[in-house]
Amino acid sequence: MHSAMRFANLLRDQPTDRRLFTLVLSLYGARLTACPLDQHYTDPLAYARGQSAVRETFQPDVLFAPVAVALIGAAFGGRLRYLTSNAPTLAQPAIESAGEWQDLNIPDPERQPHLVFVREALRRMVAEHRDQVPVAALFLTPVDIPMLVMGMDAWMDTVLFDRPAAQRIARSLIPFFVTMTNGYLDDGAAYVILPCAFASPGIVPRTIAEQFSRPIMAEALAQLRGPVALHHLDPPLLPHLDLLADLPAVGGFSLASADSLSQARSLLGRQPILLGGPEVRLLRQGTSGEVEATCRAVLEDRRDDPRFILCNSGADLWLDTPPENIHAVRRAVESWASER
Amino acid sequence: MSLELCNETAPALAQVRQSLVSLIKQADRAGANALLNSWAAHHGYEQVFKELLEPALIGIGESITGEKHTLAQAYVAAKVAEDMLTRAVNQPGAIDHDEPAKGPVVLGNPEGDFHALGRRMVATMLRSKGWLIHDLGNDVPAEEFIGQALATGARIIGVSAMTMTTAQGIRALRQEIDARGLRGRIQLAVGGAVFLVMPGLAEDVGGDGTASSMFAAPALFDRLWQASLQAELSHA
Repeated sequence: MHSAMRFANLLRDQPTDRRLFTLVLSLYGARLTACPLDQHYTDPLAYARGQSAVRETFQPDVLFAPVAVALIGAAFGGRLRYLTSNAPTLAQPAIESAGEWQDLNIPDPERQPHLVFVREALRRMVAEHRDQVPVAALFLTPVDIPMLVMGMDAWMDTVLFDRPAAQRIARSLIPFFVTMTNGYLDDGAAYVILPCAFASPGIVPRTIAEQFSRPIMAEALAQLRGPVALHHLDPPLLPHLDLLADLPAVGGFSLASADSLSQARSLLGRQPILLGGPEVRLLRQGTSGEVEATCRAVLEDRRDDPRFILCNSGADLWLDTPPENIHAVRRAVESWASER
Repeated sequence: MSLELCNETAPALAQVRQSLVSLIKQADRAGANALLNSWAAHHGYEQVFKELLEPALIGIGESITGEKHTLAQAYVAAKVAEDMLTRAVNQPGAIDHDEPAKGPVVLGNPEGDFHALGRRMVATMLRSKGWLIHDLGNDVPAEEFIGQALATGARIIGVSAMTMTTAQGIRALRQEIDARGLRGRIQLAVGGAVFLVMPGLAEDVGGDGTASSMFAAPALFDRLWQASLQAELSHA
């Protein structure tokens, strides 16, 4: 059974030969192909080559289009800095306050080079792998895009102290968000991952998540043509999970290692796919034995929960994550299946 | 909500502090400022800082650590402190200047780090406790940190890093401090999101100390300043 069949069976509640697993290895592809990171995040062919190497080396059940949110900020006019050991970062946001928003041009998804890079990398990956391995893409919701356009300080300030402006800005981004996300789905993404910053219990209090973020997310997600998975970002998501549970188009939740998967399942019901597993820090610094044991504990915890994918919590894996720790994840999945 | 206070009818200080904490946690910056202004009108800015704002900020810091931590609440707390500082500075005689200012100290983000929010909030907390800050901003090379510290007489360099990658860049600053024979004389304070989730990282990158939140930063800087003085004395 190949990965695409496993994924299809998971969605249809059909049996699979083993549990699905994946790791966010967007950056790691560059390590496997020895690709300079400025090329990895600008050349779709180079990026896709890295993901082919990921598939060949680790055989995950889901591959990832470029995970580099700074590119979104750069698409709006922010200044990008390419790094030698991580995804690019924003050196300077496009604007510094909500007052400048009205003079800002929303980038054209079909022409803006950074956006075209991601789309083209996704298309190449889908063309090469879709028959056998699903490909996921990543974007941000309209309540989170502004932090990349004006910087975290200015966006936090706007959300906290000028709510009408924040709502106006976030709503103005809904068409852009819908075009981009539906574009990914039309290009063949199996699902789109949406990290939750301004709905996260680590970032905003419940009132803001409930009164500001949720209504805008609901309006935006209702216009999508395919499934998305909400991602915990870094802090646990569970305290706000009930607010996100019935949003349109949400087919899954990627949770933090500190989140209780059992509580999440109880709260969400049986339908949504849950993703969870070892955090990126353990994968980077732990031993392969620790990684394998953690994965097996998670699989055991989810023994009676078929709608589950083992996936790292946190963001993209570090470039210096030992390959044996990544192999340990697959080994855990395979050995756990063979013992059942 | 009326927040008028007067000496005769003022509620117990603890209750006012609790109201302030509650307003900040609800992100009600205007309400918090109104409460503080009202208190300042009757008791003066000095008392506002010592009896109301500082204890409230410490209380908030203690209550929003760990899993309860909300960046927005910490941000509002910093903004309220900043608002109060601005008003006090612009009010002649509002602050008792008999107590000497602390510092100066140098703050910045290491090379490649552009996450200013945490650093700015720490700077606000330090200023509220009387520290003079030279904020060098984002993406600061090790040489610039040290050059500025030597030029201003700063005994502490505070470095805020968001990610593991940029935190690793602090090693270069540690090496530069040591290479110039400044270990002890210049103390290296490190902090930022990544230090909260990776115990031991502060020591690993060569930091002399770290704080669990912006609310704990003033106490850390007090300690490091004393450590610097003692190191200099022992070398004399």
